[in-house]
Amino acid sequence: MSEPLVVAEQVEMSFAPRGILARGRPVRAVAGVDATVARGEALGVVGESGSGKSTLGRLLLGLLAATGGAVRFDGQALPKPGSAAWRALRARMGIVFQDPFGSLDARRTIGAQVEDGLAIHTNLSAAERRAQLTEMFVRVGLDPQRLGAYPHEFSGGQRQRLGIARALATNPDFLVADEPVSALDVSIQAQVVKLLAELRRDLGLAMLFISHDLPVVRHLCDRVIVMYLGRVMEEGPVAEVFARPSHPYTRALLSATPMLDPARRLTREILPGEPPSPTNPPSGCVFRTRCRHARPECAETVPPLREFGSAAHRVACIRADEIN
Amino acid sequence: MRRLWFPAAIVGLIVLIAALAPLLPLMDPVRQDVANRLAAYVPGSPMGRDEFGRDVMSRLIWGARSSLAVAFASAAIAAVIGTALGLLGGWFRGLVEVLAIRGADVVLCFPPVLLALLVVTLLGPGTGTLILVLSVLYLPGFIRVSFAEVLSARGQDFVEAVRALGARTPRILLRTVLPNIAGPVLVQVSLAVASAVVLESGLSFLGLGVVPPTPSWGLMIRGARATMEQAPMLLLWPCLALTITILAMNLLCDAVRDVADKRGGGGAPKLRLVDRLLPGLFPAPAAPQPLLDVQGLTVEIAVPGGIIRPVDDLGFRLDAGRTLAIVGESGSGKSMAATAIMGLLPPAARVAAGVARLDGEDLLRMPEDARRKLRGGAMAMVFQDPMSSLNPVHRVGDQVAEAIRAHREVPAAQASAEAVALLKRVGIADPERRARAYPHELSGGMRQRVMIAMAIANKPRLLIADEPTTALDVTVQAAILDLLAELRREEGMGLVLITHSLGVVAEVAEDVVVMYAAQVVERGPVDQVFARPLHPYTRALLAAVPDGDAEPEGIPGVVPRPDRWPPGCRFAPRCAFATAACETPPPLEEVQGQAVRCVRWRELSA
Ligand SMILES: Nc1ncnc2c1ncn2[C@@H]1O[C@H](COP(=O)(O)OP(=O)(O)O)[C@@H](O)[C@H]1O
Ligand code: SF4
Ligand code: SF4
Ligand SMILES: [Mg+2]
Repeated sequence: MSEPLVVAEQVEMSFAPRGILARGRPVRAVAGVDATVARGEALGVVGESGSGKSTLGRLLLGLLAATGGAVRFDGQALPKPGSAAWRALRARMGIVFQDPFGSLDARRTIGAQVEDGLAIHTNLSAAERRAQLTEMFVRVGLDPQRLGAYPHEFSGGQRQRLGIARALATNPDFLVADEPVSALDVSIQAQVVKLLAELRRDLGLAMLFISHDLPVVRHLCDRVIVMYLGRVMEEGPVAEVFARPSHPYTRALLSATPMLDPARRLTREILPGEPPSPTNPPSGCVFRTRCRHARPECAETVPPLREFGSAAHRVACIRADEIN
Repeated sequence: MRRLWFPAAIVGLIVLIAALAPLLPLMDPVRQDVANRLAAYVPGSPMGRDEFGRDVMSRLIWGARSSLAVAFASAAIAAVIGTALGLLGGWFRGLVEVLAIRGADVVLCFPPVLLALLVVTLLGPGTGTLILVLSVLYLPGFIRVSFAEVLSARGQDFVEAVRALGARTPRILLRTVLPNIAGPVLVQVSLAVASAVVLESGLSFLGLGVVPPTPSWGLMIRGARATMEQAPMLLLWPCLALTITILAMNLLCDAVRDVADKRGGGGAPKLRLVDRLLPGLFPAPAAPQPLLDVQGLTVEIAVPGGIIRPVDDLGFRLDAGRTLAIVGESGSGKSMAATAIMGLLPPAARVAAGVARLDGEDLLRMPEDARRKLRGGAMAMVFQDPMSSLNPVHRVGDQVAEAIRAHREVPAAQASAEAVALLKRVGIADPERRARAYPHELSGGMRQRVMIAMAIANKPRLLIADEPTTALDVTVQAAILDLLAELRREEGMGLVLITHSLGVVAEVAEDVVVMYAAQVVERGPVDQVFARPLHPYTRALLAAVPDGDAEPEGIPGVVPRPDRWPPGCRFAPRCAFATAACETPPPLEEVQGQAVRCVRWRELSA
């Protein structure tokens, strides 16, 4: 095994304005991101909404075709969306969504929906599919007696379990979980996070876990990347990034996260203003319009990700050495 | 289901009779018998004879055959082709969309009757022509409806999910998209059939549809018109048949749509509102008087199965300039309690008991008029979703000014100036320009700031904020919480903060009320409660928070529904410490400034 399961190199995604008469600049949702996810590894992606987390997830899954850079899965470039090779690859990747309500089809039984992957990718008989389905239900903590029920009969936490079961039915190698617990109560969040951790361990899943809840990422993931306006600001092993956040944006994010014991967190840094529009990002460091350490030279070049402290911990800030 | 049964039976009966016409012991519908012309009754002809002495009942039934055949055939053809085009257009967009939708628009440009006349004149009258004309006429409706539905369905996560599973396009379209657009298409079918029956009759009436002597309802009306004075009943029968058929069709399609729609919920439950107010049997508040004093607050809702209590015996006190947080999982009654205090309960719910005194005045027993004067004045509320509380068609500055003028008589210009000052006060940069923006032009955080500006416009003494930051990013949340803390400090306002984030409680509140299944399970100063939680639920909630070093632990199960509360301790089914003693409802006990509702708290905290 030479290369990690999923490798993204300088991947980019620009959404062109839609429609025949549409005008205006494209939205650069992801602007040159390098990321890898090894087998059995969980990579966290954090950042404010609109920072490009979901877009990155869809690029790694090949649900979106990148407008720049490359994504490889298991050593192969991702095939064109919609092609036969692409469809076959779907069995090896799964996605779990944030909204426990919108992500399930209200008009089909949960059994039929969780079964979809098997029906599409295998030649199993109905009875064999049913057997696998039952096993999957038990695995995610749902009652297999209720295969014939409709989504509205389930609570938010149970629906997320259903979403997970659907994504894992074909026994994929790679799972993208896009804010899977953000809409849940904290008591239920912990259940679902625990389930994901178990599944990851038992099935050897590679996982991309998108979240804006930093403490959850800390518990579930091995590494984390911090995104702002489509770019990576900081990346590294969770223990290091959370213990020594070194990019001003990561520090602001962590300091804003409410904690049971406020004395334990960094002094609150309120970010001034609003994030700039991704159609017109600032030159140089994209964070400079809200960074309290910004200098004129921050506007000149895009700061590259550089090793900071250890080989795996990298920070994209030209002043990282001075301010830490 | 019952709603489906009745119209289905009628439509079924009509179709069945029409279909079985050749087998029924009917007279020949075209045999003329001039001797019995216009006879009101002839043995064997209970509805009489028409102007050529033909049997009316037989013609009615045979007429149903041709009318319905034309209507169903044209609706079905239009539905199949139109839905397919709409589906493909909505899914693939691009050229297919242009062709399908613009094509439909062209057809829609013609007045329907004119188009029908044109085609019939070109092709000559007859059943085939009629079906062709009607299908073309109804096609655009189906294309447009299904196109719009597909557009909205394709953006949904569950469609993305099947796509992510690698389903082929036909499978996605047939299995996932089609069932989700079936409801509106069915309604369209009902409209098309009903209107096709009418149009068929109309065209036949004009002599452009079914060709005599084949019976059809339109032709019958045409014939009866000439002899309207001598035999008015001849006009009545086909009209009656038409009306009943159309009504039944519409009812049926409505019902089918409801049944096909498995989204659940269905219609809102019908609730009975019995208004009986119990007098408050509570001691007068102890001095010094708190800003807000809530005691025994109980809210009831009558539902089909009985009465549920989403808030049960809630009590707390809030002093001016302080923050009290109400926490608990969703479904524990937090928002219902807040709306009860504000007098904003939904119509089905009512306050069954309790008092809520704002500076000594009971809000719950005050006339609505007086309470309205307080709302937005002395007390104000901020909701989770600012978008649904702001009016999308008015500029935000005007909305803030409106909030001012609702309570104070100030000239418009002054109100606008104050509105800008308020926007500035809540930390909106460039407030003059932002005041002219519409809500959708602002980010979520900014909209929440506007809501707060409206809430504090008249310097309220009490502000209730219901999950004000739940939908926001942590960075924005931090800024909003800071703003609330500052306002409270500087204006001496009392703040009730409803949240499900214990971290937020720890950051901003001095006192906390933990609610579970409508009841207070624990209450006290935040430092004390978080350092030494007495109730197993509080402990479990704290253990679920992921920000310590320990692995977060979930709480098994979910909050039970209000009609399924356990008879004893409501937390018992999820409590790790439940024993037989927990089968009796525990009282709320006061201990050193803290209150706890658990029979085992003493042994557990030992
Ligand atoms: N299909 C799309 N078309 C146009 N713009 C998009 C599309 N999807 C996302 N974007 C834009 O890309 C940016 C990043 O979005 P997203 O990846 O959803 O961020 P996140 O998941 O971090 O909230 C946002 O500005 C968003 O509006
Ligand atoms: S490069 Fe400059 S602007 Fe960017 S984070 Fe570092 S100090 Fe701030
Ligand atoms: S009363 Fe019993 S079941 Fe309820 S919280 Fe206390 S120990 Fe648990
Ligand atoms: Mg997202």
